[in-house]
Amino acid sequence: MLVVDHVTKRYGATVAVHQVSFTAQPGRILGLLGPNGAGKTTTLRMIAAILLPTEGRILFEGRPVGPWSQAIMGYLPEERGLYRKLYVEEQLVYLGRLKGLSFKEAQRQARYWLERLGLSRWRTHKTEALSKGMQQKLQFIAAVLHQPRLLILDEPFSGLDPLNADLLQEIIAELKDAGRTILFASHRMEQVEQLCDDICLIAQGRILTAGPLREIKQRFGQNTIVLEFKGDGTFLSELARQQRIRLLAQSHHRAELELLNGTPPRQVLEAALAHVDELYRFEVTEPPLSEIFKHQVRNATT
Amino acid sequence: MHKIWTILQSEFVRRVRTRMFLLTTLLAPIFLLTLLLVPPLISYLSDRSAVHRLAVMDLSGELLPRMQAHAPATLQLEAATLPTDTLQAAVRAGRYDGYLLLPASLLEGSGNAELYAQSGLGLSFQIQLERLLNKAVEEARLARLQVPPELVAVLRAEVNLRLYRLSETGAEADGTAFYSIIGYIMAFLIYGATLAYGSVVLQGVIDEKASRVVELVISSVRPLHLMMGKVLGIGALGLLQFFLWGLLLFAGTTAAGPLLSHFLRTQSSQLGATASTEEVLQAAHISLPAIDPLLIVWFILFFLAGYLLYASLFAAIGSAVEQQQDAQGLMLPLTLLIVIPILFMPYVITNPHTSLSVALSLIPFFSPILMVARLAIGGVAWWEGLVAYLLLVGAFIGAIWISARIYRIGILMYGQKPSLKEIWRWLRAT
Repeated sequence: MLVVDHVTKRYGATVAVHQVSFTAQPGRILGLLGPNGAGKTTTLRMIAAILLPTEGRILFEGRPVGPWSQAIMGYLPEERGLYRKLYVEEQLVYLGRLKGLSFKEAQRQARYWLERLGLSRWRTHKTEALSKGMQQKLQFIAAVLHQPRLLILDEPFSGLDPLNADLLQEIIAELKDAGRTILFASHRMEQVEQLCDDICLIAQGRILTAGPLREIKQRFGQNTIVLEFKGDGTFLSELARQQRIRLLAQSHHRAELELLNGTPPRQVLEAALAHVDELYRFEVTEPPLSEIFKHQVRNATT
Repeated sequence: MHKIWTILQSEFVRRVRTRMFLLTTLLAPIFLLTLLLVPPLISYLSDRSAVHRLAVMDLSGELLPRMQAHAPATLQLEAATLPTDTLQAAVRAGRYDGYLLLPASLLEGSGNAELYAQSGLGLSFQIQLERLLNKAVEEARLARLQVPPELVAVLRAEVNLRLYRLSETGAEADGTAFYSIIGYIMAFLIYGATLAYGSVVLQGVIDEKASRVVELVISSVRPLHLMMGKVLGIGALGLLQFFLWGLLLFAGTTAAGPLLSHFLRTQSSQLGATASTEEVLQAAHISLPAIDPLLIVWFILFFLAGYLLYASLFAAIGSAVEQQQDAQGLMLPLTLLIVIPILFMPYVITNPHTSLSVALSLIPFFSPILMVARLAIGGVAWWEGLVAYLLLVGAFIGAIWISARIYRIGILMYGQKPSLKEIWRWLRAT
């Protein structure tokens, strides 16, 4: 278990992270969400024992993080970078050895993961010869090849095509099932929603909400409606004008809306049936994470 | 420690296999040899090839034959009795390079010889001609006075001053000039190597930071270990390069003997075609004093410690910037520190034992250059070397400590060009 306990990080007069506390459980994925500059990266760097907190403490498996925990931690920083002049396998073996693997073991793991991510034939190429996406996968391998018990992934999918993003998601899910503690920072809400068990919302260096994703969504209630239809959608604007609903998202044949002022869901359904040619989907659900996020951030700043 | 070793290996291997390393290892000695050999070779060849023809109007009637007797093949002297304007025309027409006027008064020890030439004939030619003329005049005047040949021999006798150095084992041939040159060479090697490998360290740190890989690395190892591994790995690269240069030098001097003897065979018959370098040098009456192995040890020790001192500071500067050109301003104090001993070099080499020289060579930032130069010249008490070395070791430990503090903050700082003041603030931050 990872415990972040009242952690504050100050740079001179500026406070990057203020009294942040949360826990991450093994076998679960914790999503760290926040707008740019919220303090996500600083928090992750402190967990990775790259930065020291000004106040508070960070414990992994009951001990303060430090060089010992770095050996059992995998880190995929947001700012990617590898040694351009090293050969692909050499690079991974080197980074693995820095984590404390023997040469043989590092080589074995590197080959396994290169195979797994479809990079085997690049093994003896220089890293700089690889495309951005391939380097991204290489960087992911560097984070997992020493079988870390704590995995910190800062925006792991940025710059990946959907196929590779799926492959990475699959591997992350596997690692989760193997009982690893996984931290995942992102501002791509749908990915967080898909992957995470717990979330922790940060803005301006403070925690806004933290807890299991299900609970948080339920806390915001079943006041969201998703519609898919064919035909004229202008009735929605009419309802919005009457303050009965608020449109969250609308496209040509899809709409997400929030019920306002106690409007019953069936009123929307009836209006829809009266106006559209065909109704494919009508779902009453929890708000999407992006709405919760916006709502929370807005509340925090006012 | 284990991780420093891993980093050292990687930093070493990735550089040693580059074409750049191969090129500098092979080309640096060639470049140096070219620099040393080409200027004398060019002047030798140009002196050889140019044949000068002079018309000589010898009014003494005695000097020309004597000059002709001593003149080298490249100097043709022809008697001329023509009026000066005809001679001038002949020079202008290119039949002669010039004409020489020798008044009869030269034999009385007065007057001047006059050379008229269209273009400058060069300083070395002028000196050569003057020497020739003096010899002829001297001979003629000695002959006139009917000086007996024995007395001439006495006058011609030259005494050479040979220097010997007193050591515990007895008197040895002194090679002050030779050891001064060795001191110069060693000091400049340390100066050049410290700057060269220091900037490799600087570039390495900047690359690591600019490519952002540093964040990944320090999530596995402490910044201090990364810095030390890098500095030591590049230092090992430097040692290897020195070793290879040493080998090349050895191979070169060994091969020089047979090569030289091949060219000299026509002139000196007692040399075999396969004479070794020593034999050739002996035949040419050149004896090189031996280099004390202890001096080589001192050289390597001072190089390493001096390199560690400067390279760790270079690493600290590299960590503070994102590109090479931003480093210039921060480098200035460091570059000054390394240039100062070079400015004092001529003084220390010529006055190795004054108190100023002793004091300068004890200062850590200067000792890798100045103490090595003094040790090469010799006559330095062993404890002086030791004190300088201990001070230097103390300084590099301090420098590593300071650099590590700057480095661990610097490598995660992006988007600002820090001033020295800012870096001072990092140094005091906990």
